[in-house]
Amino acid sequence: MARISAAVNVLLLLGLGYVWARNYFQFRSKHTLGLFVFSLLLLAENACALYYYLLDPTLSAWFAAEVPGIAWRAMMLLHVLETVALAFLAWVTWD
Amino acid sequence: MEAVLWYVLTGTRGGPNRVRLLQAIDERPRNANKLAEELDVDYTTVRHHLDVLLENGIVEKSGDEYGAIYLPTDQVQHHWKVVETIMERVE
Repeated sequence: MARISAAVNVLLLLGLGYVWARNYFQFRSKHTLGLFVFSLLLLAENACALYYYLLDPTLSAWFAAEVPGIAWRAMMLLHVLETVALAFLAWVTWD
Repeated sequence: MEAVLWYVLTGTRGGPNRVRLLQAIDERPRNANKLAEELDVDYTTVRHHLDVLLENGIVEKSGDEYGAIYLPTDQVQHHWKVVETIMERVE
């Protein structure tokens, strides 16, 4: 579930980043630049999380086998909250 | 108001189209039909963008539902410098 949320976050951030990047290159405003940079950094955060969970040779094995359920649930909550926040932002940005 | 203008016109997917609408309305207040025709944008798309601009106090309409004329609000006229800065980047 934490992995799914992180993946959804990556997709939402790609969509938001696309809109903001396109508008930034058209308008060159610092407001849009701010939104774009924000989406890039949050994208990096979620991409790193996915990499650690699924691909990194040491960490992915550790996450798969040694992390207790309670810790997974705590991390899942963080990712899911972020997904809800991003879904809301996508909803207001997409119109 | 300035933050609203920046966000609605440059922070969203439909921003660039809304700038064109506002530009046309500023030249001459018009109804949705005329705007769709002149900007060559789908009528329902124009209505959607006009509703967003209405909701955010950027344009107002006078007249009844059909053929209502849209025009910039006083508040926007007040901050027209910002709109001009944004408009320079369109096209």
